[in-house]
Amino acid sequence: MAARRFISPLWSCLAFTLAFGLSTLVLPVTTVQAEAGNAERGKLIYARRCALCHGEEGDGAGPGAERLNPPPRDFTEGQYKFKTTGFDDIVPNDADLFRMIRDGMPGTAMPGWGDMLSDQDIRDVIAFIKTFAGLEEEKPTIQVDYGRQVPSSPESIAKGRALFHEGDRCAECHGAEGRGDAIKKLKDDGGARTWPRNLTKPWTFRASNDPKDIFTRITVGIPGTQMPSFADPKSKKRLTIEERWHVANYVASLAKTDKVPRPENTVVKVMKVEGALPTAPDDPAWEKLPSTTFLLLPQLIAKTRFFTPSNDTITVRAAYNDTALAILLEWDDRTRSIPGDPKAEEIADPGMGEDMVAIQFPVAVPKGMKKPYFGMGDGAHPVNLWQWRSGTADKPQSVALANARGFARIESRDPASAGLTARGRYDKGRWRVVFTRPLAASSPDKDITFQTGQFIPIAFAAWDGSNGETGSKHTMTTWYWFLLEPDTGLRPLVSALIVAFLFGAAELWWARSAGARKPEGEA
Amino acid sequence: MMGRLLSRIPALLRAALVVVGIYLAATAIFSGLLGQPIPASLMTMYMFFVIVGVFMAFTFTEEGARAMAAPIRALVENPALRPVRNIVFLLVPLAAGAFTYTKMLPSLEAPVELRTIHPAPPSTFKAYGKRYDLLTLENPFRKYEKEDPERFRALVAEGGKIYIRNCQFCHGDKLNGRGPFAPALNPVPLNFQDVGTIAQLQESYLFWRIATGGPGLPEEAAPWISSMPVWQNFLKEDEIWKVILFLYDYTGHRPRAWEK
Ligand code: HEC
Ligand code: HEC
Ligand code: HEC
Repeated sequence: MAARRFISPLWSCLAFTLAFGLSTLVLPVTTVQAEAGNAERGKLIYARRCALCHGEEGDGAGPGAERLNPPPRDFTEGQYKFKTTGFDDIVPNDADLFRMIRDGMPGTAMPGWGDMLSDQDIRDVIAFIKTFAGLEEEKPTIQVDYGRQVPSSPESIAKGRALFHEGDRCAECHGAEGRGDAIKKLKDDGGARTWPRNLTKPWTFRASNDPKDIFTRITVGIPGTQMPSFADPKSKKRLTIEERWHVANYVASLAKTDKVPRPENTVVKVMKVEGALPTAPDDPAWEKLPSTTFLLLPQLIAKTRFFTPSNDTITVRAAYNDTALAILLEWDDRTRSIPGDPKAEEIADPGMGEDMVAIQFPVAVPKGMKKPYFGMGDGAHPVNLWQWRSGTADKPQSVALANARGFARIESRDPASAGLTARGRYDKGRWRVVFTRPLAASSPDKDITFQTGQFIPIAFAAWDGSNGETGSKHTMTTWYWFLLEPDTGLRPLVSALIVAFLFGAAELWWARSAGARKPEGEA
Repeated sequence: MMGRLLSRIPALLRAALVVVGIYLAATAIFSGLLGQPIPASLMTMYMFFVIVGVFMAFTFTEEGARAMAAPIRALVENPALRPVRNIVFLLVPLAAGAFTYTKMLPSLEAPVELRTIHPAPPSTFKAYGKRYDLLTLENPFRKYEKEDPERFRALVAEGGKIYIRNCQFCHGDKLNGRGPFAPALNPVPLNFQDVGTIAQLQESYLFWRIATGGPGLPEEAAPWISSMPVWQNFLKEDEIWKVILFLYDYTGHRPRAWEK
């Protein structure tokens, strides 16, 4: 999920011309033969750039490892996840390692090194990491057989969909809608918790969601994890090459592009509706309202910090009428966490909490730039916290209201006193929760009052109770904006017509008087 | 040569070209070089002054004013240009109407938040229950770089461990400000590889920034939105000094020293 920088077209044109000009100048000099990797040189690069995570000994136990999920690869095992050699051949192609090292692995701490290491550096470091498992002399013998690629089409996708669900082939782990809502607890060979990929979030794919990459994963599996090979003749769920292309096309079609977080989207636009507000989480009226998706990050600023989130986005929609407003929060969560429920306990990490979500507003909308500290406010600038909790085996879901002036100064309040309500519904790997509150605050010194046309700071937090997220361990956003769109009626249109008319009249008058001054011109 | 060519372009067109040129240069500099597009509202304001300025420059002399007005007068008074005039006379009211319409719609553009990235530090600050004087504060480990290189290497290595366990999430393990969670943050975590950050700063400044974090910033740097944690809550004093050694070692930058 690299942050895409906005570059003006003019600028990229200039840069392109420059780069093109330069490359034609230097090209003849730089086309040297690719040299084989040199493990001695690779060792130096490894010690400086890789050992902090992968460990001096290559055992994946560097000082950074403990706070990472997935953990850094243990090179002494010689097993690689994203390779294009056969499922029954442990040895990867050098090109597979090259790609992962150069481009990085989205959704993990493994960055792309292409901007820091030259191609030769990468070949050197590959030669070195292979020595940890004695792979230097090994050559892969079996390559993935791609057959003939089936281009994506509605028919192919429909076939792929059927195969995906047939006997729960993929749905067992990736969920009915592909959101990775597992029905069993998965661990990798090293014992680390693994979550099946949420197939609707293409930016979290380690090796892209291009059908060819997906085909490779289905064929090879992801070694070391429970993602199996579907080319293995011993597998009961085995697929032919053609079938694997259909499934790959289907998986690629699951990408939910309307829920991609974009850095330029910083405002929740709250639309005016006539009559009743949608208050049920699955009210179809929500679909007609614009949505904004924000990136979540784990809470890293206050004790106790949190490092291994299971979710990375939250989607917001909101509407208001004359008296109240309703906000729909929607986020993917692989597990419905119900403390006290034996089935939920089975999938969850120990010490499961409720799933929760929270919205943060300043109590007083700032006049100038100055906002409360984004981490629960500060002494002089309190915030309102609206929190919804999913409930336990013997307690229904609930809503909570608090005012905070920093992490340590939290005052719990009665949500009913502010007219705050919240209702949630879990469905196939996704929570949808609706908050409602009157626009006017019942106690204006303690609660925010919503006025149209005002840019109001807003922030969010979410807890996946099955992923050890309780208390200060959760995911969150920084401040964004919340805007109740003023209802302007016909005013802009009428004003535009008047202005256009005045301009036209002035022009006519001008043309006439010019004509009157120069009658000979008309002849 | 260039001058003669220029003087043959009508004054009005020349003025328009100057304005467009300034606009393009400004967008190129901001979004290309500084990597941050100018917010539209600011741009509108700048361009207003630019247009007024250019207009005044071109109409400074009476002759200049007449040259500027000539094409417009010709349009209305020259019968040969009548078809053009009719088109222009249709377009101008339409454009004015459209402009009014868009201006009357409520602005959905988020307010601009300008903040100073490197504010002037205070002369003294409090951390770890002590008061530090930034004028005299030095990295106690820097001296080993010359005196005991082996010990220095070990200190840098310890700094690396602290960094990877605490800072890489935001600043990235390549120290380029692109850690795995950086895309969720605004303002963005700073890029230490860049020549505009730690290469320009003294180690004492870094110590102040790391120990007191976002909330320790003065108002012009908008402390309320900075996600930089307050590291005196998590790290010991000497750990901060070690991580600073690592930042310079990994990037190959040198801390800025007092000018002698
Ligand atoms: C910030 C920690 C970090 C650093 C530094 C790091 N890696 Fe990784 N690396 C990871 C993690 C985490 C994974 C596992 C990702 C996964 O399992 O999906 C990984 C996986 C890999 C893999 C396995 C790819 C596969 O298909 O299985 C290779 C190869 C690799 N890293 C090489 C390197 C090299 C070479 C360097 C140094 C230039 C390096 N890494 C630096 C964190 C890191
Ligand atoms: C037994 C559980 C299980 C089954 C069945 C399963 N997967 Fe997976 N899948 C996983 C796990 C776990 C991961 C994540 C592995 C990792 O990287 O840690 C994964 C990852 C993936 C990825 C991500 C690849 C990438 O580049 O990041 C894709 C695509 C995928 N699976 C597709 C499928 C398809 C299609 C099927 C059915 C044909 C399927 N999976 C069946 C468990 C499963
Ligand atoms: C939660 C994300 C986050 C973490 C973790 C984090 N930082 Fe930062 N840091 C930021 C952001 C955002 C900024 C830019 C805003 C600001 O200046 O406060 C920043 C700024 C800085 C600066 C100021 C640089 C300059 O040029 O003025 C330094 C130094 C710094 N960080 C060091 C560290 C160190 C050392 C660590 C680990 C001990 C660390 N940071 C961990 C987010 C983070």
